Amino acid sequence: MKTVDLTEIPALPKLYVSAVGTAARQKLSGNRGSSALPEVRHSVKGASVDVGRLTAFQNVLRMPVKDDLPSGFVHAFAFPVAMSVMAREDFPLPLLGMVHLRNTVEHLAPIDFRQSLDILAWAENLRGHRAGTQVDMIVEVSSNAELLWRGNSTYLAKGVFLPGIDEVTARDKEQFEPPAPTARWRLGAGIGREYAQVSGDFNPIHLTALSAKVLGMRQQIAHGMYMASRIVQEATPPGVDAFAWEISFEAPVYLPANLGVAIDENLDDGQWHGTTFSAWNEKSRRRHFHGSISPRS
Amino acid sequence: MASSGNPTPGQQVRQAVVIGGNRIPFARSGGAYTYSSNQDMLTAALDGLVARFGLQGERIGAVAAGAVLKHSRDFNLTREVVLGSALSAHTPAYDVQQACATGLEAVVGIANKIKLGMIESGIAGGVDSASDAPIAVSEGFRRVLLDLSRAKTTSQKLKALSKLRPSDLAPNAPGTGEPRTGLSMGEHQALTTAHWEITRQAQDELALASHKNLANAYERGFFDDLMTPYRGLTRDSNLRADTSLEKLAKLKPVFGKNLGDNATMTAGNSTPLTDGASTVLLGSEDYALQHDLPMLANIVDAEAAAVDFVHGGEGLLMAPVYAVPRMLERNGLTFDDFDYFEIHEAFAGTVLSSIKAWENDDFCRTRLGLDGALGSIDRTKLNVNGSSLAAGHPFAATGGRIVASLAKTLHEKGTGRGLVSVCAAGGQGVVAILEAR
Repeated sequence: MKTVDLTEIPALPKLYVSAVGTAARQKLSGNRGSSALPEVRHSVKGASVDVGRLTAFQNVLRMPVKDDLPSGFVHAFAFPVAMSVMAREDFPLPLLGMVHLRNTVEHLAPIDFRQSLDILAWAENLRGHRAGTQVDMIVEVSSNAELLWRGNSTYLAKGVFLPGIDEVTARDKEQFEPPAPTARWRLGAGIGREYAQVSGDFNPIHLTALSAKVLGMRQQIAHGMYMASRIVQEATPPGVDAFAWEISFEAPVYLPANLGVAIDENLDDGQWHGTTFSAWNEKSRRRHFHGSISPRS
Repeated sequence: MASSGNPTPGQQVRQAVVIGGNRIPFARSGGAYTYSSNQDMLTAALDGLVARFGLQGERIGAVAAGAVLKHSRDFNLTREVVLGSALSAHTPAYDVQQACATGLEAVVGIANKIKLGMIESGIAGGVDSASDAPIAVSEGFRRVLLDLSRAKTTSQKLKALSKLRPSDLAPNAPGTGEPRTGLSMGEHQALTTAHWEITRQAQDELALASHKNLANAYERGFFDDLMTPYRGLTRDSNLRADTSLEKLAKLKPVFGKNLGDNATMTAGNSTPLTDGASTVLLGSEDYALQHDLPMLANIVDAEAAAVDFVHGGEGLLMAPVYAVPRMLERNGLTFDDFDYFEIHEAFAGTVLSSIKAWENDDFCRTRLGLDGALGSIDRTKLNVNGSSLAAGHPFAATGGRIVASLAKTLHEKGTGRGLVSVCAAGGQGVVAILEAR
C-alpha cells in the first residue's frame, strides 16, 4: 500500500468543503468511480498537541484536566487524517451524509500531551449493510515507533449500494428495556456547538436547529464522539493505563436531552474485569448507544 | 515539659512519619494553570504521589486537603479528587480550611490520627487557584433568586423580581481583604513591617536568598522526587534565578504607600498570587516498613495560635510568634535544638518581623510571657531550599510544600530537627516540629 505524507493534520472544515466539490463534480459527470477502496495510507509525522485545546476539550467534557490525553481526545485529534482519506476523489463513498455506526479503540499506553505523535490512517473492509454500504476507517497513533492508540471507526453511506457489494438483509431489532440508571446526563441545546469548538467537527447537523433542518434533521443532534469520549472517561476506572473500548451508536440524540446512563462494572476479587454501558432517552426509552470497556495488559 | 505533667504529643504515642511528598510546580496566576481547577491540580499532585509510591488502587486511611478560594460546587473537593485519582475509591476524604495554614493543619490532623492508631496511612494536601477563582452573585441578587425559586404564583414571582436593583447585578469576586478590617493582607503586613522597622534592604535580601536557594535546590535535583510536571511546567514559574539586589531595589512599593518614604513592600518582597497543589504521604512506622517505603521524618508536635489584630493589639500575621514558644516549652526545646527553620514567606516583612520579635527582650516578656528574648535564628538555617517569595504561594498548598521539602532535607542530613511556621488570615498561625529519621 502506498503512503501519502501530509505535512500537517488537515482542518476538518476544509475537508468538508472539498468534499462538497467532489460530490458536485461526480454528480455532474454521473461517475461514482469504482467499488474499491483507495490503496493508500495517509500519514502525518511529528504532530503536537496544543495544551490549550486539550484543556478546553477536558473542560467541555467535564474531565479532570490531566496531562495524559483522554482516549476520545486522541480520536478528535487524529481522525481528520482519516477524513482526508474519505475526502479523496478515488474514495468510493460520499463523505457528506455518512453515518457513524461504531467505534472500537485500543488505548495501549498513556499518552502525555508533550509527546510527538505520528498518525497513520487508511480505509478497509468495504462491505454491505441493510441500509447501504459500510467501511472501516483505521487510525493508528504512535510515538517513537511505539503504537499507542488504534481506532476503528465504522461509517455507513446510507442508500449507497455499490456494484459487487452484497446487500445485507435487515435483522430484527432487539428489544431494549432500560436498566436502572447509575447516572443522568443533562445535555443542553448548545452542547453540539461546545463540542464543535474543541473537536473541530463543525458538521452543521450538530450546531443549531436551523442548520440541522437544512440537512434533513428534526433538530441538532449530539456528536457521537462527545458521548463516546464522555462515557469512556466516566466508566474507565482511574489508574487504568491500557484498555480497549467499543461503542455502537443507535438512535441520534436530539438536543436538548436528558439521558439515562447505566454503567455496570465487573469486579471480581477487587480486580476490574471490564465495564459495560448504555444510554437511553428518559422519555422515549429509546437506546442511544451501548458499549464496553475492557482491560488490556 | 508542661507544668501539668501531661504526656506531650511527641512522647506518649506512636510515631507518625513523613514518607514523601509530591506537588506540581507552582504557577503565577494567569499562567500555565489558568484553565485548571482546584480539583484538576490537586488530582495531578495526588496522582503523582500515587505513582511515586505505588499506591494505585490502594485504600488509604484518610485523605485530608483543602483550598482557601473554593467554589460552592467543590463542597466535597478532596473526596471528588480521590474519586478522580488512581487511589482506591474506598479511600475516605475530608476537607480542611484554615486559610494559609490549611495544608499544615491537614498534615497535623492526619499525623494525629496515625499517632492514635486510628489509621495506618494518610495523605494531607492543599490546593489553590487564584486564576480560577469563584465569582458569586451579589447578596441582593442571591436573595432575589432564592425568593424567586420559592415563589409559586406569577404575582409572587414578579414581586420577588421587583426587589432586584441594578447594583445587585455586579458580581462579587474574592479579595485578600480581611472581612473585619477591610485592609488587604499586604496593607496589614505593611503596618507590622513599619512597626518593627524592617528595612527595604533587609526585605530584598531575604527575597534574593529565597530565589537563590530555590534555584540551587533545582540545580542539584532536590525536587526531582518531590514534583510532577503539569501543563508543561517543570519549575515554579515565579522563580527568578537571575534576580539581584539591584533588580529588586528598582521595584516600586505596592503596600503601605500611605507610609510615604517608609513604604518598603514591593512585588519582589511579597508573594504573588499563585496556582498550585501539594500532597504529603504519612504513615505509621509499621505501614512504612510493611510497604517498604522510606521514612523521612517524624511529625513531633504542632501548635496553633491566634492574635487580636482587629483592635490593633497585634499584627495580622504575627500569630506564629506566639505559637512557637508554647510549642518549644512543651517539648523542652530551644532554637538551638533546630537545624532548619521553615518560616513561610507570605511577605519578607512577615519573616523578619517574627525573627525580630523573638529577639526582643521586652516583647518576649510582655507579650509572650517569657523571661527574656526567645532567641535568634541562624540565617544559614532559614528556608534553605527557598520559600514562598520564590516558589509562590497557592494558599492551601504551601503547608504541604514545606513539610515534604523539610522532611527530605532532614532525612538527607540524617539527624536533627526542623521548625515550621505558617501564618494565616484571620490572625492565625500554625507551627510544627519535624525530626529527622
